[in-house]
Amino acid sequence: MSKTIPPTCTEPQTGPKYWRGLDELAETPEFKSWVEREFPAGASELSDPVTRRNFVKIMSASFLLAGVGLGASGCRRPEEKILPFSRLPEGYVHGVAQFFATAFPTRHGAIPLLAKSNDGRPTKVEGNSGHPDSNGGTDRFAQASILNLYDPDRAIRYTKGGTVATKAAALDQLTALSQQAEANQGAGLCFLVERSSSPSRARLQKLIQTKFPQARWFVYEPVDFDIHRNAASIAAGQPVTPYFKLDKAKRILSLDCDFIGAEEDNHRFIRDFAKGRKIEGHASKKDEELINRLYVVESLMSLTGANADHRLRVPSSQVLQVAAALAAEIVKQGNAEFANLAAQVGKPAGVDAKWISECAKDLIAHAGKAVVVAGYRQPLAVHLLADAINYALGSIGHTVVFQPDTSVGAGTLAELATALNAGQVESLVILGGNPAYNAPVELDWAKLQSKAKSVVRLGYYEDETFAATTRATDWHLPLAHYLESWGDVRSSDGTLVSIQPLIAPLFDGLTELEVLARLAGLVATSPYEIVRETFRGLSAGWGFEESWNRFLHDGFYAVKKTDVVVAALNWAGINKELGAVKPVPAPGKDSLEVIFHRDYRVDDGRYNNNGWLQELPDPITKIVWENVFLLSQKTWEAFGFTQKDNESGNAYVPWVKLTLNGRSVEGPAWLAPGQADNTVGVALGYGRTKSGRVGNGAGFNAYALRTADAPYIAAGGKLSATGAKPYPVATTQSHWAMEGRPVVREANVAQYAERPDFAKGMNMPEPPGGDQPLYPNPLDVPDRNGVKPRDKSPHAWGMSIDLNSCVGCSSCMVACQAENNVPIVGKDQVGRSREMHWLRIDRYFTGSVENPQVVTQPMLCQHCESAPCESVCPVNATVHDEEGLNVMAYNRCVGTRYCSNNCPYKVRRFNYLDYNKRPLDKLKGPFFSTPLLNTVDGEWELARWWRDPARGIRPNDEWELLKLAKNPDVTVRMRGIMEKCTFCIQRIEGAKIAQKVKAGASADVEVPDGTFTTACAQACPAEAIVFGNVKDPHSRVSKLKAQERDYSVLEFLLTKPRTTYLARVRNPNPQMPDYTKAPASFEEWEKKGNHLVHHGHHDAAPHHAAEKGAH
Amino acid sequence: MSAIFPKWTNRLPLMIVVGVLLGGAGVTAGVWYYFTPKYTRVGYQPIQPVPFSHATHVDQMGIDCRYCHSAVEKSWYSNIPAASLCMNCHNQVLKDDPRLALVRESAQSGKPIPWVQVHKTPEFVYFNHAVHVNRGVSCYECHGEINKMEEVHHAKPLSMAFCLDCHRDPAAKLRPPDKITDLDWRPESPEKQRAMGEKFVHDWKVQSLESCSACHR
Repeated sequence: MSKTIPPTCTEPQTGPKYWRGLDELAETPEFKSWVEREFPAGASELSDPVTRRNFVKIMSASFLLAGVGLGASGCRRPEEKILPFSRLPEGYVHGVAQFFATAFPTRHGAIPLLAKSNDGRPTKVEGNSGHPDSNGGTDRFAQASILNLYDPDRAIRYTKGGTVATKAAALDQLTALSQQAEANQGAGLCFLVERSSSPSRARLQKLIQTKFPQARWFVYEPVDFDIHRNAASIAAGQPVTPYFKLDKAKRILSLDCDFIGAEEDNHRFIRDFAKGRKIEGHASKKDEELINRLYVVESLMSLTGANADHRLRVPSSQVLQVAAALAAEIVKQGNAEFANLAAQVGKPAGVDAKWISECAKDLIAHAGKAVVVAGYRQPLAVHLLADAINYALGSIGHTVVFQPDTSVGAGTLAELATALNAGQVESLVILGGNPAYNAPVELDWAKLQSKAKSVVRLGYYEDETFAATTRATDWHLPLAHYLESWGDVRSSDGTLVSIQPLIAPLFDGLTELEVLARLAGLVATSPYEIVRETFRGLSAGWGFEESWNRFLHDGFYAVKKTDVVVAALNWAGINKELGAVKPVPAPGKDSLEVIFHRDYRVDDGRYNNNGWLQELPDPITKIVWENVFLLSQKTWEAFGFTQKDNESGNAYVPWVKLTLNGRSVEGPAWLAPGQADNTVGVALGYGRTKSGRVGNGAGFNAYALRTADAPYIAAGGKLSATGAKPYPVATTQSHWAMEGRPVVREANVAQYAERPDFAKGMNMPEPPGGDQPLYPNPLDVPDRNGVKPRDKSPHAWGMSIDLNSCVGCSSCMVACQAENNVPIVGKDQVGRSREMHWLRIDRYFTGSVENPQVVTQPMLCQHCESAPCESVCPVNATVHDEEGLNVMAYNRCVGTRYCSNNCPYKVRRFNYLDYNKRPLDKLKGPFFSTPLLNTVDGEWELARWWRDPARGIRPNDEWELLKLAKNPDVTVRMRGIMEKCTFCIQRIEGAKIAQKVKAGASADVEVPDGTFTTACAQACPAEAIVFGNVKDPHSRVSKLKAQERDYSVLEFLLTKPRTTYLARVRNPNPQMPDYTKAPASFEEWEKKGNHLVHHGHHDAAPHHAAEKGAH
Repeated sequence: MSAIFPKWTNRLPLMIVVGVLLGGAGVTAGVWYYFTPKYTRVGYQPIQPVPFSHATHVDQMGIDCRYCHSAVEKSWYSNIPAASLCMNCHNQVLKDDPRLALVRESAQSGKPIPWVQVHKTPEFVYFNHAVHVNRGVSCYECHGEINKMEEVHHAKPLSMAFCLDCHRDPAAKLRPPDKITDLDWRPESPEKQRAMGEKFVHDWKVQSLESCSACHR
């Protein structure tokens, strides 16, 4: 074999093109040394407090035990039992997974799902693409919700006064309450519930209100999206809920509305938004109308801002001014009022007036095809202005429709507090929620609650509210998971969706419906009967059984939709509300604006004990396991904060104190590019004390600052340094950097029109020596029969990822984790760069720190045909199969990690520890454990390990429950094993086997396109990831790969990846003041002396080396 | 001066070398023979809780494999039948036989019969029954003459080499689809088998899958 010369990497001339952390932009020596190392410091070293001496001790003890084991039990084969059914359930085939339609309930709607059940235990959820308003995509929370089912910290017992009680006693208590209410018409009986779209709950609520007219209902959500309904109802003059159709919109303006990340139903918004960004085939319309255009006005850098074509950063409180100015330009009807309002609230400080006028012009030019959305954080006035603009643009009925409001009225938490203080509450029934943790701080809920004579609480965790429910008269009942419950919900489009259980309640919990039915004194209290009864009322009269069965089978019942037609807005109502608006002064350094936001990972705190979500890097900051104080660069510098990164990926940041109205919390400060100056972003949902073994103590509690009058935007925050040592924040931000090569390629629409093949034109010059790959392509090496592997199979698997559709929402990451048994490793291990995600989302900032552009790129094993990892494996553990998959044989792997060193994409993950066997409470701090000292479940660890070596040092309750969540089709990897994305090989093989079984004695073995897809592609609401057979020229993936925008990352290495990307196209408005001819990344790329080349003409390519001399 | 070491010690180095060689060879041979599936698995015959005889049921009465192992054509797993299935016949036949006490009890109470597993691939091997039996591989190839066994024993090694023998040359083993569960069927001659097998490989597009991904995930 002739010697191949490795290609020289072309060096960037000045500064990196894409930067991901500030240190990268600054090119600090730490960062440089970090990228030069094979593994980040700490990742490859045994630096745990388990010292060498300890290690030897443990090992010798293990050998001793092993010796005893051999002598005592010998080498006998362990006898294993097969326990068949004594009576086989009908239609059940052991080993074949079953799918059931159900739904993930959200605050105002639901995500319709198909849940997979392996031998009776749910293991994975997927969107139900049969539902009329679903493409099968889901959000992060739905994907992760399966882990909550198997959470060892969930409430598993009935308690009275904090001590264990029987279920029967608890049910008797409910009956007693019901009888008491019957006697006194419900006087003193109060319900505190969460929002829900369940028709059954609404029916029971109405029933209770008729039966017990004096009983009172209150609803509380710490992060509430009810403002959309509220504003729309005022604007329309009748109770309606808005339903946005972004796929019909050519121009979208977001007023602090993070519809891609934090709003409810974001998976649907993403789907519709991405539909408007897709470029299919060779597009003929290569102008501004090719794709939609997104304007965003916001304070924090959100996922929506990250996908904006034009982003205006203003403090959240100043969005009102921008909205008023826009309304004054756009709304003709009642223009005087809007002009007055604009004058009344004043001009937005520091905002280019041209930005607003040009944006307004563009929206007007697309009347009927434009839409304005306002975010849940914004006050009512902004929502009303958005509605008025939508009306003026003729969008109502097109890009936004009003649907009849089916919600049932209820009081607020403040009203309940008043009733409690007045001593009017005899019995308080709390269904779900966690008010002791997340109620406004001034209410002091834990104390307030005890003003009720008795409290009955139905809760999923023994949490903060449980801790406040421990008087002798208080009851706590365990809540059933939605996968254990019968129920019904309405998805946001109004379709009725069924919730059906896949497993009987693991800990005998109750559903909300059952508790309500018992309190209502109903005879039939089983949730199944209740849902059936509700359905009977909602479905068409005849053929009930048939439509009921169809409802359960399909998972939905399409109701005839009747949108509310709004001829004219209720101007009087709007003007009345707007008349009361007072301008908020712009924040300053000494009076910071504190912005409380829904967290991308733990929501309002309800997913705090979910390890998958805790370890999911925040899509923007890439921080794991905690929240931080987000600050803009100017604010950061004004306070003189500095950040120092160590080599391994921990960032050391100042530990600061934020004071608001006399209350204060402490936490780490973080520089967030693109944030508005003088604002502090604070994620809710962390700093829990009674969350569970995963969530306890992660982050700080922002609710401790939050009051009822300023729930989302609070003025007057003060930040001060504490003088504490710099605090390590674990982040995946600067991990796995690619050294500024054209990894993500993007252009503006105009450039794309000029050069549709711009992505290929950005290819780096190939190494001298031509197009011979450095590593031989195993698919072209004939086997002993002289057949090339590539010709053996009708399949060749490949993937195409459309960067134009990918919004970075990270659903795919959680889906991958659920599908492939990917373990969580904990904050300490992420700080050592040992995170295990097979699929990551790289987020690159380009341009200035103050106003950057953002691109996101899913990065996973590229399944190179000439894979560099394969040729360095000394034991052939990673090899190619004939379908082009780069496969890992875990049993051969000896853990040399050479493959990871040689992988140019840095997508291989190594099990440094036995992550599947580590206890959950060891995840946050440094990991220290020795079996010589530990006790687990009260038993000396070594003795316990001897009895049951499989579960490591995990306590029994964790082990028994968490292993139920594992996918049986995927090997659970142990310590010392390399792993990586397999293209969901279990799904590939499953589909091939199913096809071969179907083929039987025939040649029909080719799996048809669309039969199956990978977990990430399935979960993607944007349909950005497409997987399939590239040998079939008619498959979807082949068609996408044939597009001109198709490119491979690091193509000059000639690794021939099977995963390719479709370059991103931005659609900025040339009239806008912040218009640039090319995306910031492209400009930077050109500044390095690169320019587009015509691909296919190697000789004509202007070589980098030649350019280099000129600089 | 008398010798401290007796004369035979002169031969000691040679003895040590020979001893080590012999010992080494012995250990190697021992591991070779005793620690491979051919020895550890073949012949494994645990005592089952119910003395079920395949010989009686299959060979004498001619019950098809798939009457009891009904999932074998659909699932990765060939199921052990439920006790209720046994009772389809045994509520008439031998209905008071003491040997069937456990079966009757199980069908009545719902408590499963604890059969002892005989054939077991390691957990990192994802073997699928359905794809084999639907594509011309007989039960006989891996389980041997089950129809002749009074008590089931492990007949073939089921080692990776065993799997690969067939995967490298499927033509040697493929048989007509209607003979899959006919455990007495044998090809007339090796030549005829080859001709037939090669025809099947071609007609059914049988790939000789030798990649890791075929069995390990």
